[in-house]
Amino acid sequence: MRQLLLIFSLFIIMDSDILRAEEITIAAASDLSFAFKELISAYEAASGNQVKLTLGSSGNFFAQIQNGAPFDLYFSADISYPKKLEEAGLIVPGSLYRYAIGRIVLWTRHESPIDVTQGIAALRQSSAKTIAIANPRHAPYGRAAIAAMEHFNMYDDVKDRLVLGENVSQTAQFVESGAADIGIIALSLARAPAMRTKGTYWEIPTEAHPTLEQGAIIVKASKRADSAKQFLEFVKSRQGVAIMKRYGFVAPESR
Amino acid sequence: MNWMAIWVTCKLATLTSLTLLIIGLPIAYWLTYSKWRWKFLIESIVALPLVLPPTVLGFYILISIGPHSPIGRFYTDLVGHPLPFSFQGLLLASILYSLPFAVQPFATAFEQVDRKLIEASWTLGLSKLKTFYRLILPLSTAGLITGVVLSFAHTLGEFGVVLMVGGNIEGITRTVSIEIYDEVQALNYAAAAKTSALLLLVSYTVLLLVYAMNRRVWSVWPQK
Amino acid sequence: MAPEITLNIRKTFVDRATIAVQLRLPLDPPSVTILFGPSGSGKTTILRCLAGLEQPEAGTILCNGQIWFDAATHVHVPPQARGLGYMAQDYALFPNYTVEGNIAYGLSGLSVQGKKARVNEVLSLLQITQLAQQKPAQLSGGQQQRVALARAIARRPQLLLLDEPLSALDAPTRTKLCEDLRMLLTRLAIPAVVVTHDWTEALALGDQMAVIDEGRLLQTGTPQDVFSRPINADVARVVGIETVLHGRVREIRDELATVQVGPVPVIAVASPGLESDVFVCIRAEDVTLELAGSSETSARNHLRGTVQAITSLGALVRVTIDCGFLLTALVTRSAQSELRLAIGSDVRAAFKAGSVHLIPRR
Repeated sequence: MRQLLLIFSLFIIMDSDILRAEEITIAAASDLSFAFKELISAYEAASGNQVKLTLGSSGNFFAQIQNGAPFDLYFSADISYPKKLEEAGLIVPGSLYRYAIGRIVLWTRHESPIDVTQGIAALRQSSAKTIAIANPRHAPYGRAAIAAMEHFNMYDDVKDRLVLGENVSQTAQFVESGAADIGIIALSLARAPAMRTKGTYWEIPTEAHPTLEQGAIIVKASKRADSAKQFLEFVKSRQGVAIMKRYGFVAPESR
Repeated sequence: MNWMAIWVTCKLATLTSLTLLIIGLPIAYWLTYSKWRWKFLIESIVALPLVLPPTVLGFYILISIGPHSPIGRFYTDLVGHPLPFSFQGLLLASILYSLPFAVQPFATAFEQVDRKLIEASWTLGLSKLKTFYRLILPLSTAGLITGVVLSFAHTLGEFGVVLMVGGNIEGITRTVSIEIYDEVQALNYAAAAKTSALLLLVSYTVLLLVYAMNRRVWSVWPQK
Repeated sequence: MAPEITLNIRKTFVDRATIAVQLRLPLDPPSVTILFGPSGSGKTTILRCLAGLEQPEAGTILCNGQIWFDAATHVHVPPQARGLGYMAQDYALFPNYTVEGNIAYGLSGLSVQGKKARVNEVLSLLQITQLAQQKPAQLSGGQQQRVALARAIARRPQLLLLDEPLSALDAPTRTKLCEDLRMLLTRLAIPAVVVTHDWTEALALGDQMAVIDEGRLLQTGTPQDVFSRPINADVARVVGIETVLHGRVREIRDELATVQVGPVPVIAVASPGLESDVFVCIRAEDVTLELAGSSETSARNHLRGTVQAITSLGALVRVTIDCGFLLTALVTRSAQSELRLAIGSDVRAAFKAGSVHLIPRR
């Protein structure tokens, strides 16, 4: 009995961190959640390689990568994070890629009495009792949301009604479930099939906030830099660009 | 049903409770039989994870095993990759987080062994260690099982610590509780509901077993 | 070096009297030493110090020249190394082992066959072979006591320490087992120290006795000696002479003293140089009761009195009589019914001068 347990434990420990050689891990900002799921299945089908995806807020990933988190690729919703990593010498030189410009939208459920087509004034409606945005401290979309509200001189009026999502995905979930009345979320999430059928959105004009330049890098410590490069190439390929476009991710060059 | 997450969670819970069985016994033994005046200091440290927010624990663990710390550097030199965001790092955090759930039931069980029996064993020639194996341990099996089962169940439910220290890497540190969180964020409510129900069922069954066997599970420290 | 245990220890307590005792226990030829005293006297603590289960604060314990304990040099030989057989008051049988397992528990040096042989030997010695596979919870008090004894002697210890071996038993079992224990101890020829507060046990089992009270050694000697000749009133009180009273020696003539106890003169054998203030001690066994108006007997003391109280002690009856002072007598039950003794009856108490023990008052 005891030997069995011993063997079992050894097996478990040894099994833990062995990723197959062609598997790569990607840390992606959560606005990419639906877009990347599609992109990754396409990539896996085309290349035969495996991809492991972790979604979260860009700021969190930035901190984790600085602390040695074993991601191979990092797709950030705010290019300043990858740039900082570049300055710190933590990226594969030359791998920095501006993959898209991010857009924010106002979103609310179909059932809601709030009329988002009124634009930013919708935030002032009495039925907008809770307004969900991503946490500006580590989510670029949250910072953009605040910038937009300030641009329209709304911020002081509505700041008591804000609820913060841990990342922009959770923010979307807050509004989608009805826990919040209205939210400012990523365009890519609003265009995802799961959200599109459930509510309406209004695109916030790009002048209202600093450009959400979004960038990706290959982490220098990655042991699978070649496979990572392969994936990055796929994102830049025609197939990749087409998928991203469907979710409102427009590459900066083609603007 | 995400089998990877379930596998990671099972691995984590099993290894945590087995490790706690090994290291918890000497700690519980010392706490039961030591007559040191300042024993209460150690008792409090062991009980800390009961009251500390998991994020606090996760924070301190992250600092002390991160790549800039002596432990972190030693580990990276040894193994080649950093301790945080690895399964081993998560295992370490888990062990600390569930420590009192093992040590307290162990200590309660030891305390309940009649001292006269222990003395009789000594007069029959058995050393303190031999007495522990042949008398105290066999008479404490209920408490031992309680401790192992509780630490297993407690690990199943870990979230804050896993989030801080684990990094949510699929197949390595993405546990069931994180998986549920991810599913909700991705609006896959059906999947989240299924996984949650499974976790609830397992946790409840585990607790049932413990309470059925043993009434005195939640005493904070052994009654002297 | 004479084979003996010398004990010279001191231990203080917060809530009880300090123990300060000096004792010599002979080991060869093997004999039974009784540590006698009331509860709380410290006799169990002394036994535990002998066993190594407790440590005195100061002093030494030597066994056959080997130092078991020395406070000055911080030497303490643990119980495991003292080669003892110890039996606690409630037996402390291991509930997770059978009787066989309990007895074999300490037999680590033996082979499997060796263990089995020794266990069987001991089982038959204590006549409990049929209990071998039982668990302690299934045994009666008397059976448990035998198992505890068997376990204690299985390792052929050089010394047996028994703490109140019979007090957990009911009276009839106690008498039977007392006999058995005496025979066993004689047969085993292992020196033993027995703690007890019961004078019948002390008399039955002991070769020599040490009276302990309030942490102090009061007297040593054979049980008969100590019981019938306590050296002072404390010992007398502890060993349970039932009647201990103040008296004034009126006169001494022909080695007989007349002692005034209250309104009543008592004749006692007197040693020369006796003080006038004395304690008068009379054992209840030495007092016979007779109906008034009997013929002359050799007893020098015949006192008339009224029965104040009657207490049953199994086959015997304790009768307290007011004959000018309170006198306690121990008679058989048949005697009680023959004499038709009841509270308020008139009766005469008779006792010999030699049974009156005079102890000078301090």
